[in-house]
Amino acid sequence: MAEKEKKGLLNEDWLAFWLAILIVVVSLFSFVGIDPLGWVIKVSEWLSFDKALAPVGKAYKGVISGGFSLVLTYVILTIILAIGVSLLGGNVKRFIIGFFFVYWLSMICWVIGHYAYLASTDPAKHNITWSLKLTGEGGYILALILGLIIGNFFRGFVSYLEEALKPEFYIKTAIGLMGAVLGLKSASAFGLASAVLFRGLCAIIEAYLIYWGLIYFIARRWFKFSKEWAAPLAAGISICGVSAAIAAGGAIRARPVVPIMVASLVVIFAVVELVILPFLARAFLWQEPMVAGAWMGLAVKTDGAAFAAGAITDALIRGKTEALAGIKYEPGWILMATATTKLFIDIFISIWAFLLAYIWCAYIECKPGEKVSAKEIWQRFPKFVLAYALGFVVFLLISAPHAPKVQAVDAKVKQIEARIKILEQQLNATTDPSQIAKLTQQISEQKALIQTSKEEIKDSAKVISQTKVATSGLDALRQIFFLITFFAIGAVSNFRKLWAEGIGKLAIVYFVSLFGFIIWIGLLISYIFFKGVKPPIIQ
Amino acid sequence: MTNQEVKTEEIAREIETMQYEEWLPVESKLVKWCVGLGIILLIILIWISYTFFPAQ
Repeated sequence: MAEKEKKGLLNEDWLAFWLAILIVVVSLFSFVGIDPLGWVIKVSEWLSFDKALAPVGKAYKGVISGGFSLVLTYVILTIILAIGVSLLGGNVKRFIIGFFFVYWLSMICWVIGHYAYLASTDPAKHNITWSLKLTGEGGYILALILGLIIGNFFRGFVSYLEEALKPEFYIKTAIGLMGAVLGLKSASAFGLASAVLFRGLCAIIEAYLIYWGLIYFIARRWFKFSKEWAAPLAAGISICGVSAAIAAGGAIRARPVVPIMVASLVVIFAVVELVILPFLARAFLWQEPMVAGAWMGLAVKTDGAAFAAGAITDALIRGKTEALAGIKYEPGWILMATATTKLFIDIFISIWAFLLAYIWCAYIECKPGEKVSAKEIWQRFPKFVLAYALGFVVFLLISAPHAPKVQAVDAKVKQIEARIKILEQQLNATTDPSQIAKLTQQISEQKALIQTSKEEIKDSAKVISQTKVATSGLDALRQIFFLITFFAIGAVSNFRKLWAEGIGKLAIVYFVSLFGFIIWIGLLISYIFFKGVKPPIIQ
Repeated sequence: MTNQEVKTEEIAREIETMQYEEWLPVESKLVKWCVGLGIILLIILIWISYTFFPAQ
């Protein structure tokens, strides 16, 4: 968070920006024929454990084993992140000890989550009769549960992990990496991507105005909070949790204790939402997947919990849609709806804090010597969003001229292949020599047509293939950062705080506002802007 | 995390000592403007979304 006290050369926000940018730049070596991230571990659905682990890059398969890839990923991440922690001014030794447990415990959950009986959306593929159909991302839920157990029942152990429990930093890095992945996806479905972006922007404008006004009113009139309390509380409950509470508190010059106390509640309730809302979305919104995604962005507070909720919702809804309707949505679009709304919210926090500061000083109460400066917009601007935007734009620009051509030819080739199949069936069924000669010639012509079509887009296909090599490595790393975020969120959530004396009134106003208004208004706004928007179908 | 640094007793004391403040007319105005602007923009943004950024 930009507001966090700066002890080292960088804060977490800037570190996430630079780390994501560095990894994205390294991934670009794929365009000179190298797969620089192919060694990253990829876990697949498995019944037999030897099928579970493999490096993500095709070039590495058979060259290094899955086990070696798993260890290599751990070693390289530890080195990179330890450098990062030293830049943050943290304790590197304690980080290395903590990260050992964070990585391996999370990874155990990830591997278990990919067990076919838990994950498979098509049990027949594994010759099994049933599955929970959670998809592999069910591993995120296991990591969260394990983190919650450790965080609430093994507080002594948590103190060993503390230096490595940085959910906001992990998720910001993951989002920075995700920009590039979504840039490639958007190149193939530009209309849809622009609709998601614009509608996400609309949704958050609505959320800011309606949410904030309503919660401020409730906190002041119903719960008799003072102005100093009500403004950060309204921002924390209604907008984006911790960052917004701190930004609003700063804007109205509240004492530091106020937003910090609000933030402590935000973190706890965000986990409650993370556990409940994706499953509600799966049950009731599986036919409106993008509504569900945007809803997570609008309703779940804190970046970590919101993106995590988006990832689970993406997996759960895709799994259910495939199982019930046979529709296989392209992964990542539901999460993109969450990410779009959440990122716009993060961006707008800085603008909102500026507006609030101006309104407070001009119309409500101006503290002596207080000046409102537009520079605060940049100071509070979440820098990791820039890594997301840069990755998105660069990969969109690289792939946009080529992706539609490749996509069109792929579709054409599929049609031709289907035609060839029919001709081959006819060929097998006939004994008439003239018919055989005619069909054989038609098949040859169709095969030649495939060759010609592929030849025409040879260069474009090469660019797209290289882009996919880059994004597959980035996406594998993104998943690992998501995974450790889930574990870290669980481990830092100490529910005993809710029972602490004195926090009751705050908790009640938070509970009433969140579950009484915010979640449902968020659902309504998501429904209005994302109803009928569907992710691309891949099967 | 910074929030862990806040002591339970401090939370209780802060809430207990919170002074009641009258609801000011300017606050009514602020809330009305926020929600009102939200509703007006909702209509405009829905129109722009569905006209210029269709679902598919």
